[in-house]
Amino acid sequence: MPVKEKEPMIMHPRPSSIVAALYTLRDLDTDVVILHGPPGCCFKHARLLEEDGMRVVTTSLDESGFVFGGHDSLVEVLEKVIRRFNPKRIGIVGTCASMIIGEELHEAVMDVQPDVPVIEVEVHAGYRDNTKGVIIALESALAAGIISEAEFERQKSLLKEATMVEKRHGAASKEYLEPNRGDLKFKVAGRLLELMKQGKRGLNILNAKKETAFMFADINLAVNQIAEKLGSPIINMANLNEDVGLPKNRRNAREIKEELKNRGMDIHHITGGLDEYPVAGNSANQIIGEKYSDYDFAVITGVPHALPMDNINNMELFSITNGPRQVIPLKEMGHRHVMVEIDLHPRTLGINHIVESEFGATLREMAKDV
Amino acid sequence: MSKQIAIYGKGGIGKSSTASNVAAACADEGYRVTIIGCDPKSDSSITLLRGRRIPTIMDLMRQGVDIEEEDIVFDGYKGVKCVEIGGPEPGIGCAGRGIIVAISLLKKTSKAIEDTDLVIYDVPGDIVCGGFVAPVKKGLVSEAYVLTSGEYMPLYAANNICKGLSRLEMPLNGVICNSRGAPNEENIVSEFAKEIGSQLLAFIPKDVLVQTCEREGFSVIEKEPGSAIAAVYRKLARSIMTKSDARVPEPLDDARLRELTKI
Ligand SMILES: Nc1ncnc2c1ncn2[C@@H]1O[C@H](COP(=O)(O)OP(=O)(O)O)[C@@H](O)[C@H]1O
Ligand code: SF4
Ligand SMILES: [Mg+2]
Repeated sequence: MPVKEKEPMIMHPRPSSIVAALYTLRDLDTDVVILHGPPGCCFKHARLLEEDGMRVVTTSLDESGFVFGGHDSLVEVLEKVIRRFNPKRIGIVGTCASMIIGEELHEAVMDVQPDVPVIEVEVHAGYRDNTKGVIIALESALAAGIISEAEFERQKSLLKEATMVEKRHGAASKEYLEPNRGDLKFKVAGRLLELMKQGKRGLNILNAKKETAFMFADINLAVNQIAEKLGSPIINMANLNEDVGLPKNRRNAREIKEELKNRGMDIHHITGGLDEYPVAGNSANQIIGEKYSDYDFAVITGVPHALPMDNINNMELFSITNGPRQVIPLKEMGHRHVMVEIDLHPRTLGINHIVESEFGATLREMAKDV
Repeated sequence: MSKQIAIYGKGGIGKSSTASNVAAACADEGYRVTIIGCDPKSDSSITLLRGRRIPTIMDLMRQGVDIEEEDIVFDGYKGVKCVEIGGPEPGIGCAGRGIIVAISLLKKTSKAIEDTDLVIYDVPGDIVCGGFVAPVKKGLVSEAYVLTSGEYMPLYAANNICKGLSRLEMPLNGVICNSRGAPNEENIVSEFAKEIGSQLLAFIPKDVLVQTCEREGFSVIEKEPGSAIAAVYRKLARSIMTKSDARVPEPLDDARLRELTKI
C-alpha cells in the first residue's frame, strides 16, 4: 500500500471551499443560494455576493438543528425562497455543520419539487484546497444539465492547474506565510517612470482571476497611457478571451476589453480567458520566449506567480497582487517590486466597468510632473 | 440490478451472525455477495474470513495512505466480498461522519456494491445519528429487515427501528426472529410482524453451533453445512433472494408492545 506523501500542514487561514462553491454558483448565473448551516457561516462573502445580484440566504441551523437535524428548516427556506424571489435557478450549499450530521440536501428538493433547476452542492470547509468547492459545484451543475461535459472537463483541468500554482508559489506553498503589505507604491512608481523615461522596452501583462481584472486592468491601462506619453515601447498581453468560460466570465472579459479599447489601449496578445489565469501565464511565457525575451521590464498584474520565470528572469519585474500572503513567495521567485492592492476583490463585485486602483492612480499622479 | 439489504435490530441480537450466514448461504447458491460492516466493532465479516480481521476503511484513512480497492475489499468464503468500515475509538470524533465518508470512498474506489447480486449492510444496533442511516439516505439500501427475539427489549428496539424507517419512508421487507428461547416466541414475533404490516420471514432457533463455529472463525454454513440450523439460514437466504413484498411499517405504541410480550 503506497503511503500518501503527507503534505505539510498549513497554518495560515486560506480561502474556504464553501465560499468557492458560492462564487462558482454566481458564475453559473444562479439567482438564489441557500446555505444549509449556521447563520454566520460565510457571512462576509454572502454579503459581498449580493453586490453581484445573487441572493444568499441561510437555514440558520442552531444547537437544536445540530442535534435534531435541519431537514425541516431546509424545506421551509426552500419554499420561502421560491415564493419570495421567484428564482430561475437555485443553489443549495452544504456547510461543515450540516454535512457532519449527515443532512441530505436532495431530500428537501424531493419534498418541495421546485419546477426550476436546483444545484445541490454537498460541500464543507474541511478540504485542503478550496478548488474542491468549485469542482463539487460544477459536478452538480453538470448533473443538473446546466453545463456541458466538455465545459466541466475544461474547468476541472484548469482547477487542477490553479491548485498546482498555489502549491508551487502561492498560498499553499509553505507551512506558514507571513502577511506583508509589499513595497511602497510611490517609490515603485518612481522607478517604473524612470525606466519608461529612459525609453526602456516593457511588457504589460494582465493575468487576473475573473472579476478581479476590473481593477487590475486599471494598472495595465495606466502603464499603457504613460508609456505612450513617455515614448516607451510597450507590449500589452491580457487574459481577456471572451469566448471561453462560464457566462459571467465571458461577459466580464468583453466589458473590460471594450473599455480598454475605448480608452486607447490595444491588446497585442490575448493569452486566455478570465478563468484561465492558471494556464494563461504559460502562453504569455511562450510568446515572450518567441518575441520579447530581451525586453527590459515587465509589469504583471493579478496572479503574477502563475507566470513561469523562464523568459522573464532577466527583466526588472513589477508585480501587483491582491494577497498580502503572496508578497514573500513573489519576492522569493525573483520579482523585484511587489505591491498589494488591499481589499481589491470586494470593490470588483457588482460592477461592469474598470475601477481605479491605488497603483494606477499613483502612476497617473506622478506622471503629471514628468 | 442487485439487491441491497440492511439488517437492523438491537445490539447483540444476532445481526452479524445472521448476515454472515445468509451471505455464505447465498454464495453457496452461486450468487455474488458483498457484505459491508457498518458497525465500529467491525465484526461482520470475521466468520467469512476464517477468523481473520481485515483492516477497516477508517483505519486506513487515519493512516493517510492512498486507498485502493484491494486494501479494503477482501474475498471471504466462496468469494463473498467483505468490507469493514470501522470507526474512531469510542468517545472520540464522529463515527456517523465516518460512515458517510467511508461509503463515498468505497463507492469511488470499488465496484463491490454495484457489480454483485446481493449487498448486505450490517448496521450497528443503535442508529444514534444521521451518519448511521447514510446508506439508506444515499439510496444504497433498497430493502430493510428487522431482526428480533420475542422478548420485550429487542421488540422495543425493533419497533423503534420501524419508527425510523417510517420516518424515512423506507419499506420493510420482513421480520426475522432470532430465538433466545423465550416462551411462545414465534407467535409473539409473528403477531408483531403482522401488526406493523409486515410478515415473519424466518424463525432461527437458538443453537449453540452458531457460537462454536463463530469461535473458530466460521459460519455454520461453512463449518456445519449439514446441520439443521444451516438449513434454516439457507431457507432464509432463499426467501430474501426471491421475495420482495415490502411496506412502510406502522410502529406499535408501547402499551400494545407490552401486552404483546405478555401472551
Ligand atoms: N441463533 C443463534 N443461536 C445461538 N447463538 C446465536 C444465535 N444468533 C446469534 N448468536 C450469538 O449471539 C452473539 C451476538 O450476535 P451478533 O451477531 O454479534 O449480534 P449483533 O451483530 O446483532 O450485535 C454472538 O456470539 C452469536 O454467536
Ligand atoms: S466551521 Fe464550517 S460551518 Fe462553521 S462557520 Fe466555519 S465554514 Fe461555516
Ligand atoms: Mg454486529
